[in-house]
Amino acid sequence: MSSTDTSMAAPESDQALGAQPPAEIARRFDEVLLSVDEISLSFGGVKALTGISFDIRKGEIRAIIGPNGAGKTSMLNVINGFYHPQEGTITYQGEVRKQMRPHRAAKQGIARTFQNVALFKGMSTLDNIMTGRLLKMKRNLFWQALYWGPNLKEEIEHREVCERIIDFLEIQSIRKTPVGRLPYGLQKRVELARALAMEPTLLLLDEPMAGMNVEEKEDMSRFVLDVNEEFGTTIALIEHDMGVVMDISDRVVVLDYGRKLADGTPDEVRGNQAVIDAYLGVSH
Amino acid sequence: MFYREAGQFKTSYGADQAIFPILQDKLALAGIMAVALFVAPMIASTYWLETILVPFLVFSMAAIGLNILTGYCGQVSLGTGGFMACGAFFAYKLTTAFPDLHIVLVFLLSGLGTAMVGILFGIPSLRIKGFYLAVATLAAQFFLIWMFNKFGWWTNYSASGVISAPPRSVAGDLFITGPLASPIVKYLFLVVFVAVLALIAKNLVRSRIGRSWMAIRDMDIAAEIIGIRPMIAKLSAFAISSFYIGIAGALWAFVYTGSVEALAFEINRSFQVLFMIIIGGLGSILGSFLGAAFIVLLPILLNNLPSLIGVQMSVDLIGHLEFMIFGALIIFFLIVEPHGLARLWQIGKEKLRLWPFPY
Repeated sequence: MSSTDTSMAAPESDQALGAQPPAEIARRFDEVLLSVDEISLSFGGVKALTGISFDIRKGEIRAIIGPNGAGKTSMLNVINGFYHPQEGTITYQGEVRKQMRPHRAAKQGIARTFQNVALFKGMSTLDNIMTGRLLKMKRNLFWQALYWGPNLKEEIEHREVCERIIDFLEIQSIRKTPVGRLPYGLQKRVELARALAMEPTLLLLDEPMAGMNVEEKEDMSRFVLDVNEEFGTTIALIEHDMGVVMDISDRVVVLDYGRKLADGTPDEVRGNQAVIDAYLGVSH
Repeated sequence: MFYREAGQFKTSYGADQAIFPILQDKLALAGIMAVALFVAPMIASTYWLETILVPFLVFSMAAIGLNILTGYCGQVSLGTGGFMACGAFFAYKLTTAFPDLHIVLVFLLSGLGTAMVGILFGIPSLRIKGFYLAVATLAAQFFLIWMFNKFGWWTNYSASGVISAPPRSVAGDLFITGPLASPIVKYLFLVVFVAVLALIAKNLVRSRIGRSWMAIRDMDIAAEIIGIRPMIAKLSAFAISSFYIGIAGALWAFVYTGSVEALAFEINRSFQVLFMIIIGGLGSILGSFLGAAFIVLLPILLNNLPSLIGVQMSVDLIGHLEFMIFGALIIFFLIVEPHGLARLWQIGKEKLRLWPFPY
């Protein structure tokens, strides 16, 4: 328990506020958590990403936007090791490498949610969230077979962490419901809960608000902001709702056809002519 | 009206995580165990014990094993018969080579040996899924049966290729194999042995390892992201599943039939156990028992039904009818409840909680 507390309660967002007048929301982040350099990824002849470089700084909310097929999800897949880029390097927590591996990424605190919900449909909400604790559970097969004693103690410890996340995301009433029966909006929330159960340093959210109505989007935005503020989790999210992106993110990177178009604060990106062209099209 | 959790408040997560959180379920389980341990041995005839209860318990064990692999981890296997044969022949070699080794230890060791074989044949699962994996496990089935038939070493060079269980006792005069074994001792031994192993299986599936199996079953990509290594999850499922199936095979050869040849564990046996878990319920320990009961009991029931209700029929007609009704019932159950008897039971319990109100 003590170990979980220390890593969850470390607000790192305060540091930024002091320098600016309170009306200005721009927060400043200096420490780079993850950076990708000249990443190129292709599938056969299809170039998904070409020479992409950007960084994600500790404590910020970083948005990745772009039209459909721009390579946003591919980028996330590269970051947590699903795709292995042909060129370029990924630097995470100071360690430079050519490619990540999903298991290593999970161990080092990268969690993610998926564009189309990837929950474990046959399990209850609680069990789904408990799977997020798998890497933190240590008891061996013998104790698991026995269940009582140390294993039960461990189960309860992790159950308590999960219950706190359940409280946080306001999904108490569906704790024991099989996730297959839940409506889409709640499934997305359970998926976020499962990612949070990993106590991630870096949380990758792939379209967390896709297919939601305004209220659900507001709820989800609130959760994203709260996670960032309360747990100090760095967040990288892909989102198509520009209103949401401009409101909650600190910096935005724009991709189009696998290339980087722009990178900067929401205001800078909004004014960028290349971005406007990519979204609205240019007359020739 | 009687099946309610009203008034039963949980004040700790431990109490909430019990296998049977509701008092009525606990009482029911205690009742079933009491009947199985004390009432059944007194009232059941030798016929009932030897041809119904003993095979039911042995099949339950095999079904639990396959359910761990197919129901919980999602890896379809048609090699159950082959793994049962492994258990049987390993146990035979062990107990003939070391006659002083306690028979329970022999069973457990032959289970461990089968687990190793299971891991070996589980390696293809790292690359292939679904039907293709099922075909790959068929290779295990045919190869293992061929091996036990081909090499006389496995049967200690018996001319007929049949292995006969030497007399072994659990303690003192309590023989569970050989001519001296009494049906009651066999039955009681099996009840205790299967109950303990079923409890262990239940504990495993609700612990970390069980969750990693289910995660792999439901969405292997998301499981990987969470930090589950597919190789470890899949191979551990193969190992533990084969451990149970191997023990079931040893029990089959030693306690149930007493003597067996490799052909007893042919592909039909694999299908039989697979049907059990499909009908009983994939991903449910209770379902393994229900499915085993269904498959073991139904043919016997169908066989005896005509004479019970006073209809005279020729034996071969009964035999054919049995097949037809059996097949029809399986189809009926699968249409009514594709998730098996265990889900039917679950739904029944939910209805009972509300009864007499509709919702």
